[in-house]
Amino acid sequence: MKMRNKSEFRKRDLFYLAPLWLLSLIAPDPYLYHKKEFKKKDLFYFGAICLAPLIWSDPHFHHLMVLAGIYAILALGLSLFMGYAGQISLGHAAFFGIGAYTTAILTTRYSVPIFLAFWASAFSAAMIAYFIGRPILKLKGYFLALATLGFGEIFLVILRESTDLTGGVIGIFGIPWFSVLGFSFDTYLKQYYLIWGVLIGLFVFSKNLVRSKVGRSLLAIAASEDAASSVGINVPRIKLEIFVLSAAFAGLAGSLFACVMSIANPEAFSLGFTVLIVMMVILGGMGNLYGPIAGAILLTWLTDVLSRYQEYSLPIYGVILILLLIFFPEGIGTRLNARVIYLIGYWAKKKKREQGKF
Amino acid sequence: MSLLSMEDIVKEYDGVIALDQVSLRVERGSIKGLIGPNGAGKSTLFHLISGVEKPDSGKIYFKGKDITSMAPHEISALGMGRTFQTLQIWGNMTVVENIMAGMNRRLRGGVLSSGLWLPWIRRSEKEALMEAKEILTALGLLGKWESMASQLPYGKQKLLELGRALAMKPELLLLDEPASGLTLTEMRQLSEQILQIRQDGVTIFIVEHHMGMVMEIADEIAVLHNGKLIAEGTPEAVRKHPQVIEAYLKVKKTNA
Repeated sequence: MKMRNKSEFRKRDLFYLAPLWLLSLIAPDPYLYHKKEFKKKDLFYFGAICLAPLIWSDPHFHHLMVLAGIYAILALGLSLFMGYAGQISLGHAAFFGIGAYTTAILTTRYSVPIFLAFWASAFSAAMIAYFIGRPILKLKGYFLALATLGFGEIFLVILRESTDLTGGVIGIFGIPWFSVLGFSFDTYLKQYYLIWGVLIGLFVFSKNLVRSKVGRSLLAIAASEDAASSVGINVPRIKLEIFVLSAAFAGLAGSLFACVMSIANPEAFSLGFTVLIVMMVILGGMGNLYGPIAGAILLTWLTDVLSRYQEYSLPIYGVILILLLIFFPEGIGTRLNARVIYLIGYWAKKKKREQGKF
Repeated sequence: MSLLSMEDIVKEYDGVIALDQVSLRVERGSIKGLIGPNGAGKSTLFHLISGVEKPDSGKIYFKGKDITSMAPHEISALGMGRTFQTLQIWGNMTVVENIMAGMNRRLRGGVLSSGLWLPWIRRSEKEALMEAKEILTALGLLGKWESMASQLPYGKQKLLELGRALAMKPELLLLDEPASGLTLTEMRQLSEQILQIRQDGVTIFIVEHHMGMVMEIADEIAVLHNGKLIAEGTPEAVRKHPQVIEAYLKVKKTNA
């Protein structure tokens, strides 16, 4: 067997990096993300999202992207609260669950039209976030994380125990497809356009929000609360508003989840799910709205690919997460450009050094 | 009537009296200096005025309103801007966004109207940007308006912090050790800037550790020592005040 030549191996690596570099050209610009206007790149993303399911007409891919889209909505809301306002929430799975159960209960028990149930889900999640947020948002840092975590666990217990309302551990079956004015979203392809349509709408909303007065207040709170209140920013109120808004996003996502899966049961909203969403936000990049979407797609896809390896899937998953965090500490959405250029530079330098040796 | 007045302020930390029956007035349109050796209670007094902490007893009035128990953001919304002893700019925003965030209380927009980018939001954002650029021009920071605030050198960050406080169009500006860490030239520029700000009709209350700069620009100076007000008056009078000399000399001796 022929031994592999070392320098040849490196050349090929550079070759592998080329597509990554091309990808980085279309990825969000690392240092310019704070210029919050819409760009040509956004148009490109929009086109890609519209065309992807047509080019790639595999129903499994459609379903995967539907899930990724739902998680992205949730992660988008969470990133407003975590990435922009700099607070920690480990209770967003609960708001997601509240959205899903509101839709499930309203549609199956009271036969409310799904379109109304969709908005009612956002509203109920927002209302609960308001009453929960008022006391617990006074906490800071890890204490806030713990309080929200506690809220999530209490929510799970309520779901399991109040059997009459929620169906206990079994949950609620037979939630109808999403439909508007008689048009039913009954295939994965239709659902894809529904969910990514909602996601794009919420993305534009969030992007407007972060480039406005509210967005600046959020960043100010994250950097220094004292300075924020010194210019008249009402810190507790803005925190509460953004908590409620991100819960409403979670409620919408939950409602869509219930429609797509046509089932709502407590297992889907456990701590593991919260961690997954937080991972999406962190991996995607904080303080950047493209990040959570990139993170959601990546992790959904990764979970799916790894599910083939069964018992090995979790360790591999863990290793990949660790590697990603080492090489993209600020998230794949924020610094892809910079990281790839750095890696290419590193490779080139190493090669030069090796050549010097021989 | 004075713009800001304090009556018999007492503040205690775990039995240590930081401020003992301090009464002070800041007249509209003046520059008032507050000096004193380390640990005299200057910063504590500033925290009480801006509402970060509450006094144990005594009252604080701003524009005739009792602000003693108000929240910091309510007090600043009344028209009181401030800078911090330890620099507190928002490094996660651009320079111009720092200034625009400073205008917060004058801008319109809630969560929903901003998210939907309604016409009046668009208009107010545009106007805010123009005004922020004007402020940056006055401070000589316009060239860096799009860079992240954290990338500015220290002296410029201090200027930015001042600009942010000005952006809220305050009636009273509290400056907490504005000269600390600045070079002599930067300090001179700062003095000019402060005089200019006063010319524009803003009352200034300035805390300084170094006497030189305050003596130059202040109309009136108060001296705190061990939580007590030991002298108040024009810079010349204060400079000659026996207790002031003693306080500063004693500190020098213990330092040596």
